[in-house]
Amino acid sequence: MTIDSRIVLSADKLSKAVDGPDGRLVILEDVGLTVERGASVAIVGASGSGKTTLLGLLAGLDRPSGGSVSLAGQRLDTLDEEARARLRRRLVGFVFQSFHLLPALNAEENVMLPLELEGRDDARERAAAVLADVGLHKRLHHYPHQLSGGEQQRVALARAFVHEPEVLFADEPTGNLDQRTGAAITDLLFALNRERSTTLVLVTHDLTLAARCARTIRLRDGRVVEGDA
Amino acid sequence: MKPLVFAARSLRREFRHGELATLAAALVLAVAALAAVGTLANRVERAILASASELLGGDLGVSARRSALPDAFTTQAADIGLRSSRIVEFSSVVFAGEASQFSEVRAVDASFPLRGRFAALDAQGREFTAQAPPPGQVFADRAVLVALGRKVGEALQIGGRDLAIAGEIVSAPGGAVFQFAPTVLMNLDDAQASGLLGIGSRASHRVLVAGSEAQVNRYAEWARANLPPAARVSTVEDAQQNLRTSFERGESFLRLAALLAALLSGIAVALAAQRFARRKTEDVALLRCLGASRREIVLALVLELALLAVPACLVGMALGLGMQEAAFAFARDMLPGEAPSMPWGPAASAFAIGLAVLFGFALPPLLRLRDVEPMRVFRQDMEGRTRRFDVLYLLPFVVGAVLILVESGSARLAGVLGGGLIGVALATLLVTLLLLRVLRAGGKTLRGALRFGLANLVRRRALTLVQVGALALSLTALDLLAVIGPSLLDRWRADLPDDTPNYFVLNVQPEQRDDFEKRLTDLHATRVSMLPLAAGKLVAINGQTPRASDYADEQRAGNWIEGEVRVSWSEALPESNRVILGQWHGAENATPQLSVDKSWAEMFALKLGDTMTLRFGDAEITATVASVREIDWDSFRVNFFMMLDPQHAKELPHSLIASFHVPAGTSLSALSREMTNLSLIDIQSILDRVRDIIERVSSAATWVLGFSLAAGLLVLLAALAATADERRFEIALLRTLGANRRQLTTAVLGEFAALGLLAGLVAALGAAGTGIALARTVFRLPDYLPPVGPLAVVAILSAIVVMLAGLAGTRRIARTPPMLVLRRGT
Repeated sequence: MTIDSRIVLSADKLSKAVDGPDGRLVILEDVGLTVERGASVAIVGASGSGKTTLLGLLAGLDRPSGGSVSLAGQRLDTLDEEARARLRRRLVGFVFQSFHLLPALNAEENVMLPLELEGRDDARERAAAVLADVGLHKRLHHYPHQLSGGEQQRVALARAFVHEPEVLFADEPTGNLDQRTGAAITDLLFALNRERSTTLVLVTHDLTLAARCARTIRLRDGRVVEGDA
Repeated sequence: MKPLVFAARSLRREFRHGELATLAAALVLAVAALAAVGTLANRVERAILASASELLGGDLGVSARRSALPDAFTTQAADIGLRSSRIVEFSSVVFAGEASQFSEVRAVDASFPLRGRFAALDAQGREFTAQAPPPGQVFADRAVLVALGRKVGEALQIGGRDLAIAGEIVSAPGGAVFQFAPTVLMNLDDAQASGLLGIGSRASHRVLVAGSEAQVNRYAEWARANLPPAARVSTVEDAQQNLRTSFERGESFLRLAALLAALLSGIAVALAAQRFARRKTEDVALLRCLGASRREIVLALVLELALLAVPACLVGMALGLGMQEAAFAFARDMLPGEAPSMPWGPAASAFAIGLAVLFGFALPPLLRLRDVEPMRVFRQDMEGRTRRFDVLYLLPFVVGAVLILVESGSARLAGVLGGGLIGVALATLLVTLLLLRVLRAGGKTLRGALRFGLANLVRRRALTLVQVGALALSLTALDLLAVIGPSLLDRWRADLPDDTPNYFVLNVQPEQRDDFEKRLTDLHATRVSMLPLAAGKLVAINGQTPRASDYADEQRAGNWIEGEVRVSWSEALPESNRVILGQWHGAENATPQLSVDKSWAEMFALKLGDTMTLRFGDAEITATVASVREIDWDSFRVNFFMMLDPQHAKELPHSLIASFHVPAGTSLSALSREMTNLSLIDIQSILDRVRDIIERVSSAATWVLGFSLAAGLLVLLAALAATADERRFEIALLRTLGANRRQLTTAVLGEFAALGLLAGLVAALGAAGTGIALARTVFRLPDYLPPVGPLAVVAILSAIVVMLAGLAGTRRIARTPPMLVLRRGT
């Protein structure tokens, strides 16, 4: 099998099922997709269609029940959690709906975190620079509870981009923000994505946001119903 | 909403979450520890009182010097339905032909003994239970018979009357442990007829009574109201003081251990309740949203607690009673008399205290739930109305204080323990705030995971304070029990080393000294000490004739003013004495110097420089008070209230009193046969009993320590659980961002090491301070120093245990899939 160097993310016959009180519950079934380097992909679907589960599997946060998933040429489904964590640290950035900043750390320290986990010495300088890029150069030492929702999401964007990941995964990045702030964050997300040539995979309900991505994958009851390739 | 039904359902659903199980386990431990120790202490106390009755020879005694008590004291006893007996004691020389022996004569009526067994040996040396001597007969101590060269069945003379020796005394109720001469027991009518009790005699008269507790109390009340001057009432509590002190010390140890177990349980309850309340906040918001009133919510919560508490307390009670039954069976053979029945009071009070602990410690966080706004359903980050101060927060402290006061059984123990724990709480607060400040300022220089771990402490400031405080208090309790307690017991044991003098010999004449010392050497006696003893009379204080009515403790002062005072002298300060005021007089002094016991200084309001005049036969000596001593009366050594300087006292007429240790089984009969004037007192049996008590208290304390360790572990688990939910999420997030196991471990270790070290350090210092205070004020071991090494080891060990417990808790969390991050809050 040759590896296409343009493909950064791929899944083949991916499935996920869990054992529940009423028997086995299939969340994802037979999902296949490929994402090229630098592309932007939106995963859309109704609640319970398996969007977040798919995102988690693609990002290596969870292991599939069947099928395979590869990130930058590495099979994620065969790695243990420790090895997947190493891969995430190097290759992946995240943006969450609820921001998920660590409340114990200030904005700068939150952004430094991925670099520090990599053991880089220039963490503070890099973090300050990226925070300046997202317009928060005056908020470096503010703690999450001292920032507005929009500002918290900017810090989260800075944290997601600071270690220049190959792929950025975003889960409803504007879900907790008002329309105007949401739009500003979307602009920023796409601008950073463009500047840094990062691959973007985002999960959303928001069709306007999805429309800004080059490709849309639609899920229904755990299966890809539109846009698979 | 039906609050009871709702509460029962909630309890069933919520029990599996852990906090309620912690609450229940804490209650079981607290109630079991209190019920076991309380019941055991009650039974041992009653057994001792019963045996003290035997020693006293009755349930209550009224004694008077010089003149007989009025007949009303016996007729009143009969009116109340009590049995009574008259006893007269006096010193006299007993003769048999040419031989004579100075003796303590006890003249008794036919009712003797009211309590206990009077045992004697017949002419063939067989033991029998004797009755009071009829007219014309006496019983005598072996020392008297040996000195007089007489046998049972022969005769001796007292006050010019010939009396037949009916038996050799083995044990006779009502005697003192330390007597200055051997005993002769005679009939009261004989004594009165002999003229020995005439005017001017120094006899002491006693009426003893026996009956039910209520009758005795009634009589005591009447007797106190009708007491003639210089008479006193002695209760069973006064008897067997030496053994009582040991039991009381032992009881204090056990009570302390049980109390600490209960307090630890209280802390665990408070922590678990806090977490329970936090988890319950969302439910309450929803219930409020659905229309439940504040009142219904509070009622349901209280009912839920009650439904949990009652079975838990019952289980604790059963466990405690079972344990005390085993412990009592273990202690049984060292207690005299009938086994006292099982009292239900202490177990019932443990049950009540269990409920008080639960409600006192758990209600404050739970009742805060009444302030949860229904709007919280929509905005989960919304805090409840924050009150700066809620009077409810005082509840745990009030319950804790009442618990200490009630269960310690002594205001001193309560004061020291309460003070120590408050000190630890305040020190924890200050040191933790200081550390947080340092971390805040200096934390920037730390890197990555470690900074994240320590930053957690700073951010969860309030929770950090609660965690460190709870850990520090529980570690203090464990330090007290595991380190301070055993070292206090060792110190107590060291009071009675194996070679503690087990014999006292009275009446050694100065000219016999060399010969006597030689005989002791032959007997391989060790720790030989000899002190002079002169009996005199106190005739003046600061030149004035003392009057009992001038002093607060009129009765005690009167005894000494009217009675005989025994004085000694020595160049060196005797063992188990400590000068607390002034200077020990030593050998060379220009004028006579005197050292008095602290209680004497207080009784006669003496200060340094005051003078006391004492008369010894024809000689009088006026000495200046140069020092005040504190004497350890539990030391089993010869001690004197008054000690003169040897230079001025050595010429006074005196005998010598010796104390020494001989190996067990050594026979001193040759000594008493050849030096007939000596009085030998064997205290080996008392020493053995006290040693036995110490050993058994140590074992029992270890049992109670088990409860406390379990309670301490509960506190640790509850303290760690307090932040488990947040920690679970944070670790999942770090995992999502790619943190590896080592980095997560560093963060957790950093945080818990700081928590554990801080708590361990403050606890070690607090326990050391509390230990010193306990030793001085409660256990009367003034020179006790806490062991630094073991305390340091416990501090380090506790930090390691906290770290490992944190790590163990986090290992489970670290297995949480990072998907949790995507699932939460979306």
